[in-house]
Amino acid sequence: MSMMASPNRRFWTAMTFLAPNILGVLIFVVFPVVFSLVMAFTNWDLRRHNMFKDESLSFVGLRNFADLLADGGFRRYLGNTLYLMIVIPFSIAGSLIAAILLSKDTRGTRRTFLWLIAGSVFVISTVGLVVMGLGGSAMAILLCGVAAAILLGGVFGGVTVYRTLFYLPHFTAGVATFILWRRMYNPETGPINSAVRPVVGTLEAIIATVPTWMIYSVYALGLLMVFAGTVYGLHRLRRLWDDGEVGTRSVIMGSVPMLLPAITAMFWQYTQSLWWLFAAMIAVAVLSQLGIAVVRRRMFTCPAGEGSGSALMIGVLLMTGLFTLLGLTVVVGNLPAMVQAPDAPGLDTPSWIYDYHWAKPSLMIVMLWAAIGSNNMLLYLAALTNVPQELYEAADIDGAKPLQRFWNVTWPQLAPTTFFIAVMSTIGGLQGGFEMARTMTEGGPAGSTTTLAYFIYIEGFETGRLGVAAAASWMLFMLVFAVTMFNWKFGNQYVNE
Amino acid sequence: MKYLFAILAALLLMASAVIYASYPDLRSEVPVIYWVTDRNPAREQQVATFHRWLVEQGHVTENGDPMVELRLDTGNNDQSKKIIQGVSGVAGDIMDTGSMDLSYLSQIGILQDVTEVGEEMGFSRGETYEAAASEISVGDRQYGFPCNVTATLLWVNKSTFEKYDQPIPPQRWTLDEFEERGKAFVAAANEPGERQMVFFAADLPLNVMFRSLGLSTFNETMTRCTLDDPRFAEALARKQQWIEEDRILPSTQEREGFDTAGGYGGATLQLFNRGNYGMFPMGRYALIQLRRFGDLDMAVVEPPHGGFPNTTTSARAATVYVGGAHPELAYLFMAYLASKPYNDLVVADADALPPNPAYTQTEAFKRPADHPNEWGLHEPFSDAMEEIAIGGAYSPFVLPSVVWRELDDMEEAVMNRRLTAEEGGQALAATINSRIERNVHQDPALRERYEQLLQQQAQIDALRAAGEPVPVELIENPFYRKYYEHQGWLAETTE
Repeated sequence: MSMMASPNRRFWTAMTFLAPNILGVLIFVVFPVVFSLVMAFTNWDLRRHNMFKDESLSFVGLRNFADLLADGGFRRYLGNTLYLMIVIPFSIAGSLIAAILLSKDTRGTRRTFLWLIAGSVFVISTVGLVVMGLGGSAMAILLCGVAAAILLGGVFGGVTVYRTLFYLPHFTAGVATFILWRRMYNPETGPINSAVRPVVGTLEAIIATVPTWMIYSVYALGLLMVFAGTVYGLHRLRRLWDDGEVGTRSVIMGSVPMLLPAITAMFWQYTQSLWWLFAAMIAVAVLSQLGIAVVRRRMFTCPAGEGSGSALMIGVLLMTGLFTLLGLTVVVGNLPAMVQAPDAPGLDTPSWIYDYHWAKPSLMIVMLWAAIGSNNMLLYLAALTNVPQELYEAADIDGAKPLQRFWNVTWPQLAPTTFFIAVMSTIGGLQGGFEMARTMTEGGPAGSTTTLAYFIYIEGFETGRLGVAAAASWMLFMLVFAVTMFNWKFGNQYVNE
Repeated sequence: MKYLFAILAALLLMASAVIYASYPDLRSEVPVIYWVTDRNPAREQQVATFHRWLVEQGHVTENGDPMVELRLDTGNNDQSKKIIQGVSGVAGDIMDTGSMDLSYLSQIGILQDVTEVGEEMGFSRGETYEAAASEISVGDRQYGFPCNVTATLLWVNKSTFEKYDQPIPPQRWTLDEFEERGKAFVAAANEPGERQMVFFAADLPLNVMFRSLGLSTFNETMTRCTLDDPRFAEALARKQQWIEEDRILPSTQEREGFDTAGGYGGATLQLFNRGNYGMFPMGRYALIQLRRFGDLDMAVVEPPHGGFPNTTTSARAATVYVGGAHPELAYLFMAYLASKPYNDLVVADADALPPNPAYTQTEAFKRPADHPNEWGLHEPFSDAMEEIAIGGAYSPFVLPSVVWRELDDMEEAVMNRRLTAEEGGQALAATINSRIERNVHQDPALRERYEQLLQQQAQIDALRAAGEPVPVELIENPFYRKYYEHQGWLAETTE
């Protein structure tokens, strides 16, 4: 093209090059989106409206949306979707840990020596298991062998080997890995239960010999830790409030998720009988911090909404930890009834995706596995290289320990990346779960793994209610939009703080 | 850069040319019709036989070649693909459908009504089993013809029973007998305190159980789901007891746990062969795999009953796409399905029952020369089709796939102790009935039919309350037609 070409000609030349892409977006993105929005307000049902039927479409206003809100199934599947999203904070943490580990070089004389020792221990253990007949299953041997191979691979191949291994789930076809996981979850012949079964058997034998009072002591300790965790969280918020870093409204926002585990425990069937204890815990935790706040008076003031991002982040992180702790505590509390009672069923390996209660956690494990080594890890790896070394040097001069270096330098520097990952993971979590549910569980058992995306598929392609399916899609969009806006508002604040 | 683009474009064009050249010839001297079916090696032979049959029947061109070419399309047999392609005008000319799918696809309007043409060309409902009529029809209209038909019976591994010194089950037995024999069987076959590896049966269909108590999923006119009936809870609770307490049947987890193999029935047939299952429920098509295990010593018995012996029947039916370019040629294929050459193939392959019951009376069916160990195993299936097999109850007011999904979810919820059997039945009926109400409310055409059937139901209820016989024409549900007949509740003369 001549440099002297007229602006008109240059415009049309550019348009010619851009046209395929623009047309593609218009035809395959813009048009379907607009069309689905129109569909959501119609009574489009394939049984009545298609090229072989004469009945015309009618606009039904918001009826499809109202039907969905009144539909117990829709609410339930929304709940399933949100439940599965609990894995997101864990996957983000996992990606971060993986990125930090993978940002370090595994080669070097001393490290090589250490890796070789670790690898040798695994190999010797494996040989020992075989020779002494303690293997219990070939899976234990296999796992040890694989671990040794990976460790030794790192010694010779350096961190590239690990990075490749961690990223492997991301570039492996989803359906293929789901079928593989389905096999792995097989309760009788799957490798997971083959490996877990001897452990469970040993654990059962140990628990059977432990005095009941000791188990209940651990249970009580667990409950105490839930209480201590709640108090610690509120205490930390109060300190931030006291220092003028967090406003009053932000403290309330951060406190709510923190108190949620104790509130849930008051109504949960396994802890309901101790509702009074949890009510007392909440009262003591809240009143003690309120009392201290009133007595000591605030040292520095700030606007009510200041620091909302930080408060919310602390609240959500602590909530995740407290829920996990509560769950483990309940498991411990039920051990005597499961093992020691005369008619106790004993401990058994989980039935994973075939059991109503285990199906969702099973899928969450797969999600976690896939998410740790995903693009999130790459983003963190890239972000870690951008953290200025001077900050670490300054922290070293100040005598910061490794954990303090992480908390005060690395974590704040990674905040924009974390925010981006959190937003994208949340969107992905709300939209996801279809392939996994369809391949591994078909939404079962008893609908326990049917997600919103799967529900939309069923409504659209199994029952032919295209109007309702479109409405469900748009409700999902509104949810994603609301969560993104929430993240945007408070996440941005956190990043900027 | 422009040279790079040019090279890439040339390479792509060359690749396209190579692919086109190596692709099977899309052009044909005669019209081509596509058969959307499953990926089964037997289909190739069935297509070849169809072409030969055309010649024999004189459906030929001037050159004496078949006047139509049938090609297989095994990549689009998924239900969603059939729906989307069907409503878009590009589906295959002939589509295989399961019983539930046929009901839905006909409601969408993409299946050709073949009632009249079936009469003319010899593939009407009268050419197949009476019990299979509901599987190829919606109301009084026919939409397909079976490629094969199956009746579910219990396969018995006689060697396993002999190994544990247990008597072979009788041909017809009750639920109580099943339970009693099952308990004795698992007690003899498993060591106390050790992991149970041997079960009396792999499974027992729940619908056969509650139907044997005189209950169907829907009422006589299919206007209401009736699974909130105590008989449903009784059947479900009993099955739960068999799984959890008596350990006669494996749980879903155990069954899935064993099932690592693919194919029809997963690993069930291998486990049956190895003696882990004494029995398993399946149609005659189980022989396709069982023959691979050699000459097994087997028997076939009816599922146990609670007063009304019955079993399920289903059909893989060929249907004609309403938007196809050559429906008249597709009808020829339907006629072929009723013919001797095709039925002989099904008989020889043991691919369930041949669609035309006349071919179950042959020596080739009853006593296949290559399989003397199977003599006596084939007739029970054809007998079951005549005597105890009943098709599914498919209400026009709610999609069968929805009913199936809800029923499956509910059964899983009960087995996972989320609900009691009574609660499960009530919740299930409430869900399905609310779907019926919603569909009827939103669709004026359905409403009209619904109102009419409600009146019909009121008539039936009044006659039953008065202890008077009921005209069969009033009954839409195939189960109740058979059940009323069995109970002697049908009026002797019909209009």
